[in-house]
Amino acid sequence: MATTTGSDADSRTESDAQPAEADPEQPAANVGWRYTVSQVRRDPTALAGLGIIGIATLVAVVAFLDQTVLPIVGMEQYTIAQAVWMSPNAEVAPQLLPPAWTTNVFGEGTWAHPLGTDDRGRDILSRVFYGTRIAISVGVIATTIALVAGTVVGSVAGYYGGRIDDVLMRAVETLYAIPFLVLVIVFMVAFGRDLTFAMIGVGIANIPTFARLIRSRVLSVREEDYIEAARAAGVRDRNIIFRHVIPNSFAPVLVQATLQIGVAILIVAGLSFLGFGAQPPTPSWGQMLSQSRDYMLPDPWFSIWPGMAILITVVGFNLLGDGLRDALDPRINN
Amino acid sequence: MSEPLLTVENLKTQFFTEEGTVRAVDGVNFEVNEGELVGLVGESGAGKSVAAQSIMRLVEEPGRIVDGTVTFDGKKLVDIVETPDGRMEESDEMLSNREMREQVRGREIAIVFQDPMESLNPVFKVGAQLREFIELNRGVSESEAKTIAVDMLREVGIPEPEARYDDYPHEFSGGMRQRVLIAMALACEPRLIIADEPTTALDVTVEGQILDLVSDLQERYDTAFLWVTHDMGVVAEICDRVNVMYLGEVVEEADVDDLFHDTRHPYTEALLRSMPRPDRAVESLDPIKGVMPEAINPPSGCRFHTRCPEAREACKEFHPEFQDVSDADEAPHSVSCIKYEAVGYEDSDPLETEATGAFAGGLADMRGDDGSAAGVPGGEADE
Amino acid sequence: MGRAQYTIRRILQAIPVLLGVVTITYFLMEAMPGDPVSIMLGPSPSAQQAAAIRAKYGLDQPLWLRYLNYLWDVVQLDLGTSLYYEVPVTQKILERMPVTILLLVSSFTFAIVTSVPLGIISAQRRNKPTDHVARVVALLGVSTPSFWIGLVLIILFAYQVSWFPATKLVLPWASPAAVGVDSRFDVLVTSLHHLVLPTISLGTLQMAALTRIERSSMLEVLGEEYVKLARAYGVKETTILRKHAFRNAQLPLITLLGLQLTSAIGGAVLTETVFSINGMGTLIITAINNQDFALVVGTTLVLGLVFVVGVIITDLSYAYIDPRVTFEDAD
Repeated sequence: MATTTGSDADSRTESDAQPAEADPEQPAANVGWRYTVSQVRRDPTALAGLGIIGIATLVAVVAFLDQTVLPIVGMEQYTIAQAVWMSPNAEVAPQLLPPAWTTNVFGEGTWAHPLGTDDRGRDILSRVFYGTRIAISVGVIATTIALVAGTVVGSVAGYYGGRIDDVLMRAVETLYAIPFLVLVIVFMVAFGRDLTFAMIGVGIANIPTFARLIRSRVLSVREEDYIEAARAAGVRDRNIIFRHVIPNSFAPVLVQATLQIGVAILIVAGLSFLGFGAQPPTPSWGQMLSQSRDYMLPDPWFSIWPGMAILITVVGFNLLGDGLRDALDPRINN
Repeated sequence: MSEPLLTVENLKTQFFTEEGTVRAVDGVNFEVNEGELVGLVGESGAGKSVAAQSIMRLVEEPGRIVDGTVTFDGKKLVDIVETPDGRMEESDEMLSNREMREQVRGREIAIVFQDPMESLNPVFKVGAQLREFIELNRGVSESEAKTIAVDMLREVGIPEPEARYDDYPHEFSGGMRQRVLIAMALACEPRLIIADEPTTALDVTVEGQILDLVSDLQERYDTAFLWVTHDMGVVAEICDRVNVMYLGEVVEEADVDDLFHDTRHPYTEALLRSMPRPDRAVESLDPIKGVMPEAINPPSGCRFHTRCPEAREACKEFHPEFQDVSDADEAPHSVSCIKYEAVGYEDSDPLETEATGAFAGGLADMRGDDGSAAGVPGGEADE
Repeated sequence: MGRAQYTIRRILQAIPVLLGVVTITYFLMEAMPGDPVSIMLGPSPSAQQAAAIRAKYGLDQPLWLRYLNYLWDVVQLDLGTSLYYEVPVTQKILERMPVTILLLVSSFTFAIVTSVPLGIISAQRRNKPTDHVARVVALLGVSTPSFWIGLVLIILFAYQVSWFPATKLVLPWASPAAVGVDSRFDVLVTSLHHLVLPTISLGTLQMAALTRIERSSMLEVLGEEYVKLARAYGVKETTILRKHAFRNAQLPLITLLGLQLTSAIGGAVLTETVFSINGMGTLIITAINNQDFALVVGTTLVLGLVFVVGVIITDLSYAYIDPRVTFEDAD
């Protein structure tokens, strides 16, 4: 029946000539996947970040399959790892070679080892390649732990308020007060020095970030009318939290999680550097850097590559996280 | 008739966004005389705030004034002309940014924004903020400025002004804060104050107080006001003359009494029908159907035709001229509606929209009804 | 009501936090495998020696009792004795603290002094080349592991060219004789000389993070209504930046500074390791590696204290600038 030219033909009637101004401060946290994806697609730097992450993940997956699956299937001889892991003959191993395009006191670079070799004669490129797997998996798992635990703590604290809130937040603050490197190291020394505990430890150390974030979202969402309505309708608290509060906190949490993975990777690299992480001979970037310290003067290139790998990967997550933040922040869009 | 203090001619301001160009102000004309209180009324999105800010050239990216002339006291605040090769550029007469800042802003024209909460810097004391602007715009010393500030706070009805001078914005209530902002504007002794919806964010009772205050102050200081609002009640209370805006254009301009009792434009009528009026008893309020379209893609012809109860086919085709329809001995009363032009409105068929409530054939009389008169027979109603 | 009360309230709030820090660390250390006795005495101690050691260090008492004893000692400022160094923990800490504090203060100063102007310029020249460069630098800064920066700096500026020393920090107030130079002034110079690379190494991350915050905060503040009002009243753009926007824009920065302390301390541990600096960081690593219980718990407690003090200082700075804080409940 009605035809209107060039306007959004809204069928609801404006009930008065004095509509209230929409509150510009209301953050649009209730955004969905589709909107997020469409916004990200328009941002070149975010896409670049996504690209980097994609490549890194691909590398990690390949490394994982290579190291884990092949031996199970009985095809160890095809593992690239086997081929370059440890030179079988220590005396003949080409140690501390520089990248292919230079020469140093230890010899000439060759394209068989494009980035050079380490102090045990192992190819640096392969080790960096395999280190990706550890970096990404630890980063993602640790962040997931922090996210899940932090969400539970934060939403409970924010929703119930009062005593519960006080106690939980004090606990969170205490966790935060211990310099987290120290916390994680002590944790690992207590329970185990290897990678699993590094993941758990870093995860626990990052709980406060998410707890605080979720809590502040919950606090603002809690006052919304639809929560009141849900409560009045008799919906149980737990359902309110899960079905309404948490989905509405989607945007900032996604941003924080992405950025936090980058942070986790940096922390784990630091831990490995200090000796608390992947144990030799498993290659991890931090640990490679630690090894390289002894050879900084004669073979500086050894120190460069693992650090660059960390840098690029973390840049990827930061680009994506920034892109997400820009895409989802309504005020910047205005 | 002396020259108007402020003349706005064919002002056009547009926002260049990703989605398209928003024609927020699309050819607006009005004037403000010395000591007059002129209202600029319209719904949200009509462009009135943008028009007001354009006068002071406060419009920021991605917005830009693209056409028009704004003359204030003989000076050209905005003067965009067309060059021989068809481009629009600022004329030489137009004041530079620096001249605007030094001569006009705060000095000749002051502005009061809508949200008193946000308009005051929370980390500075209120008195200091007042004093700074007074010092800057009246060229007085710091101590003199403080005296003026305190006096002004007293004028606007803030108790214990000396003590309150040293308070922070969050220590004031909303209404008090707005009084402070009004004090700020008046203290600089401008010839014109632009008030951009200053009472929208306040309670009705507080609003009443502020309006009384402003009426009072206006008489005393003889400052001209451009009062931007969406509230016809406010208009009725304080305005001398009114401009009604719709989607970037002024559609009716008249003295306030004429506007209410001799309404000419269908939009203004619709606005008045949709609100309670103390001078008339009605059975029910009659909201305007539909929503204001977006200014990116305005409707063709008359922009109001999509929601106008009296719309006809001709309305889609002809863009109305803004012209004076008053009699010779009356005050000027301008309207922008093709009903008053000779473009064939009377002979044109009614448009079938939700607003006209037209079904097959007839045009139902909309006054006081809510248009569910299905199948009412008959021809066109006599206007 | 007011700032004094707020200060006191914050200090009181810190106590349970510190208590928590001690408790967590204490029990984590208790969970460590390994027997301190065998560490001290070697693989096969005689029963007598072992018993004697246990008695001496109170290791034969039940857990909760030891914990409470420890707390009581702490209150009296006795943090026990280091098994590894065989000196009181407090002494060891006092020995190493100044170095770490010097490093932290230096890197924070570097970060603040560079990031604030950079962030402001970036905001002013939004989307112009300067801005893009600054943003790229900041992005790289937060993505680079600090210890790697240290390594690269050493390689470039200490090994490839000998502009800066590769190890150690010198305290500015050390005696000339101890340092091996002639005058107090020379001590100062040497101190600064040693400070440069570690400062940049530790401070880059903070600088980058702060620059980003400063930029976005400034942009946000410049869009605020009160800034628009100031412009409407004819205030010059430079004045707006300097006066009307600046103060408000620093608020998120101050908050971030407080939060950054915890990562800065972690970074200090790494930086001290890279530059072989004898500070609290290397102390704690040594302590952990040698299962020196008292030393670990003691240093953690002190580091936690440093953090808490830092947070209180930042909270107070925030309250100083923002008058709204003292009147509302701290969130």
